[in-house]
Amino acid sequence: MHASDMLPLPALVGLDKAQQALLLLAVEPRLGGVVFASPAGAGKSSLARGAHSLYAASNTTVPFVEMPISADEESLLGGLDIEATLRLGRRVLREGILSRANQGIVYVDQLNLLADTSANLLLGALDSGEVRVERESISLRTSTQFSLIGSYDPSEGAPRRHLLDRIGLLVILPGVTDIEHRAEVVRRNLRTERAEWEDELAMMQGLVQAAREQLPDVMITDEQVGQLAATALAFGVEGHRVDLFAVHAACAAAALGLRESVDQADLELAVQLVIMPRATRIPTPPPEEQQPTAEDQPSPPDTSSPPPESEEERDSETQTTPDLQIPEEQVFSALASELPEDLTEMPFRTLRRGRSGSRGTTSGTRGRHVRSTPGDPRRARIDITATLRTAAPWQRMRKTDLRRSSVIIQADDLRVKQFRSKAGALFCFAVDASGSMALHRMRQAKGAVHTLLQTAYVHRDRVALLAFRGDRADLLLPPSQSVELARRALDLLPTGGGTPLAAALLGALDVAEQARSRGIMQTVLVLLTDGRANIGLRAERSGVTEELQVLGRHVAESGIQSVVVDTQRSYLSRGEARRLAEWLGGTYVYLPNARGEQIADAALAARDGSE
Amino acid sequence: MATQTTTKNGTATNEAPPSAMPVYPFTAIVGQEDLKRALLLCVIDPTIGGVMVMGHRGTAKSTAVRALADLLPKIRTVDGCSYNCDPAAPSLYCAYCSSGGTRANGGRSRLKSSQGAVPVVDLPLGATEDRVVGALDIERALIDGTQSFAPGLLARANRGFLYIDEVNLLEDHLVDLLLDVAVSGINVVEREGISVRHPARFVLVGSGNPEEGDLRPQLLDRFGLHARITTIEDVAERVEIVRRRRAFDADPHAFVAQWDKEQAKLRRRLTAARRRLPDVELTDDALHAAAQLCVVLAVDGHRGELTLCRAAVALAALEGRTTTQPSDIAQIATLALRHRLRKDPLESSGDDVRIERAVQEVCGVPQ
Repeated sequence: MHASDMLPLPALVGLDKAQQALLLLAVEPRLGGVVFASPAGAGKSSLARGAHSLYAASNTTVPFVEMPISADEESLLGGLDIEATLRLGRRVLREGILSRANQGIVYVDQLNLLADTSANLLLGALDSGEVRVERESISLRTSTQFSLIGSYDPSEGAPRRHLLDRIGLLVILPGVTDIEHRAEVVRRNLRTERAEWEDELAMMQGLVQAAREQLPDVMITDEQVGQLAATALAFGVEGHRVDLFAVHAACAAAALGLRESVDQADLELAVQLVIMPRATRIPTPPPEEQQPTAEDQPSPPDTSSPPPESEEERDSETQTTPDLQIPEEQVFSALASELPEDLTEMPFRTLRRGRSGSRGTTSGTRGRHVRSTPGDPRRARIDITATLRTAAPWQRMRKTDLRRSSVIIQADDLRVKQFRSKAGALFCFAVDASGSMALHRMRQAKGAVHTLLQTAYVHRDRVALLAFRGDRADLLLPPSQSVELARRALDLLPTGGGTPLAAALLGALDVAEQARSRGIMQTVLVLLTDGRANIGLRAERSGVTEELQVLGRHVAESGIQSVVVDTQRSYLSRGEARRLAEWLGGTYVYLPNARGEQIADAALAARDGSE
Repeated sequence: MATQTTTKNGTATNEAPPSAMPVYPFTAIVGQEDLKRALLLCVIDPTIGGVMVMGHRGTAKSTAVRALADLLPKIRTVDGCSYNCDPAAPSLYCAYCSSGGTRANGGRSRLKSSQGAVPVVDLPLGATEDRVVGALDIERALIDGTQSFAPGLLARANRGFLYIDEVNLLEDHLVDLLLDVAVSGINVVEREGISVRHPARFVLVGSGNPEEGDLRPQLLDRFGLHARITTIEDVAERVEIVRRRRAFDADPHAFVAQWDKEQAKLRRRLTAARRRLPDVELTDDALHAAAQLCVVLAVDGHRGELTLCRAAVALAALEGRTTTQPSDIAQIATLALRHRLRKDPLESSGDDVRIERAVQEVCGVPQ
């Protein structure tokens, strides 16, 4: 299994954190695994292989299973070995990846691109320590204990938080910019003589062995556990698993130091590798000058930052206020320098909204083949293998009746493929049909709708259009892919009257909700307006603004991406549209004379920006 | 490629854990009172209609459900029956028991039975429909060429609990089917030339993470109670969680023994509550409070009231009373109603706050 063309673990340059993480994992498998976030070519697979070599000392062979992200349910869980079953006359099962990896390592590159079904199975097994199969007439449970090593390129988006939650250690590897550093990597790679690393590797293996023996004797005090928990709270980490992971990591670090008690450095390492990468907020924000990017901040209303604690009052043990507590000074100060300026770099931060968008639908005949179900092959793609497999057990029975040598397949046996495809997005246009500019805006909207629908087929996108005037919003075009329908709906449009923006937002929420129940998880709201609301839903004229604000937050929280296209001439604008965009947590574009294509581009950008 | 064979599937006995590894005791779970109460009420009165648990990752959802089995008194089941039938009252729909067990036994002879734990069946992700409802027994078909029914997970869960982690990731039609069976108590299988009905009476417990997407409101409404759990923000409690977990991991048997007394106490309380349940009187006061609450909150349909009343009765039984009081309704209002509220985008306060407000208005007692 050793790939001889890969550098051994000790020879990897500039990956100290990563190596540390792997050592911790080797000592304490209950950490679950390590995930590396790093750009391509930073040595991720060398690391994974290197991790494997750490286990080599324990004479037994440790399986190392590389899991392709295209792995489907059957390859993960296993299934019926049809050939052997027929030959032997009893059920023979083929092992899946998850049980093959027992006592070993599963390596997944591009963890973020792993399909949800596979990810769920993977973490189910990781969590429970067993593989449970209840499918296709197989009922089986086998225990499997493995460590997961995953990697992904952060520029392609982060893995599901769910998955990351079951994996103890997260390491963000920097892209290498230092020239000397790069040179050293090349130098080491070109050197053919690897013997010098062998000793060092052997030493590491020995250390892991010793640390494993040490681990049961390592003590951690309640104060220290309290420090870790308080730190996790201060960083806004969800759930309690993180505490346990942090404690495991700190103890493993102490074991690696062959100590019997956890010290400050161990705690710091645990915070760095376990807690910080999961941060959803920064406890003591650096100068409050972060330009509010269009990114919304729907975190709980307690964004009021905790008062920076200056004096050394530290009794996290007895203090039971639910407020944030500043973690132990030392733990924190050591890390302050490592906090990224921008929390959006944190893997857990970026996914606040609408992540369910990746669920997709299991209908249709496109996308990834996930499983096969009984069905009518005239309406779906037939799965020959699954059909044969279903028919197989019956052959003996059927043959006695019919004395034929061919396989006898009946309608009941037919299996069709089920696909999971990424459902497209819904573009919901809300057009201000009030006032004098109404016709102009309508024309712009039509142009944009047409442009979008022309490419909609490719992305499986849909378009809907709401027009609002007077005291209500009308859904002129329900979610549709049809250019023809769109044209007809848009031709009859009354204009004039007041501006009921709130009604428009409410309408958009409804449309998005309905779309979601049909499997379209992502909605982009494109508002064409000057932002001057003057009709509320039920509020008096004075309450219109508050109402809008509340609704705007709802729109943002329900994961709808918004684009506000300001159509007001700049000399008349008082910034209403820009403010609306802020409430919606969306983007603001100023396009008074926009053509349809420009608006369509803005809408597409909003869709892609969220993925 | 490695191959392996398995033991025969489909019998009720192989749900037993692979090893004698004990489960984490229910009473040792720190906090999460909402969830614990919901589960206990369903234990006392299974007709409440199950629990949906929503909460962040890593907050003891699964631990709590899996710990239930140990709290329940053992039940007697007919030997060889795939549906855990009660020997005292075997189900009419069970072909095995209604034929008097093994036919070789001469028909009417007594059914043999044995004691066992209440089944708590876990529905794994990626389970296919045929394994959930049951299907053709492939092995029998292969070896003897006979057509027989291999019961699925619903059969195993009869008289117990069916737990689905990440229920919001399950396909809607499967959730629908599960809820149907949970209500009717009978599983009807018509597929692959097989036609079987068998008893499947169980309490459905689903859990999910709100960030992974919600369940359809129609499905949500069919769960009796909706517990919500959150990350505990108290450092001392979190330290306690870690301490207990580590103690459990280090020596599960010793840990379980340490909690034996607490477990026994709760077990006795539950047994007493179940016995008391039929005698608990639902007072008009409580009934009116329930109805009024649903009117104030504009809850559609009558499931709201029904659940409120059943849960209030169960709560009274749990607390050792034989009459309900309006305060029972007040206490379980959030659990029973929070998933039935209509979404009002203009309402800025959360569902729980709305319910509390309504409770104060109706019952006059703060929760």
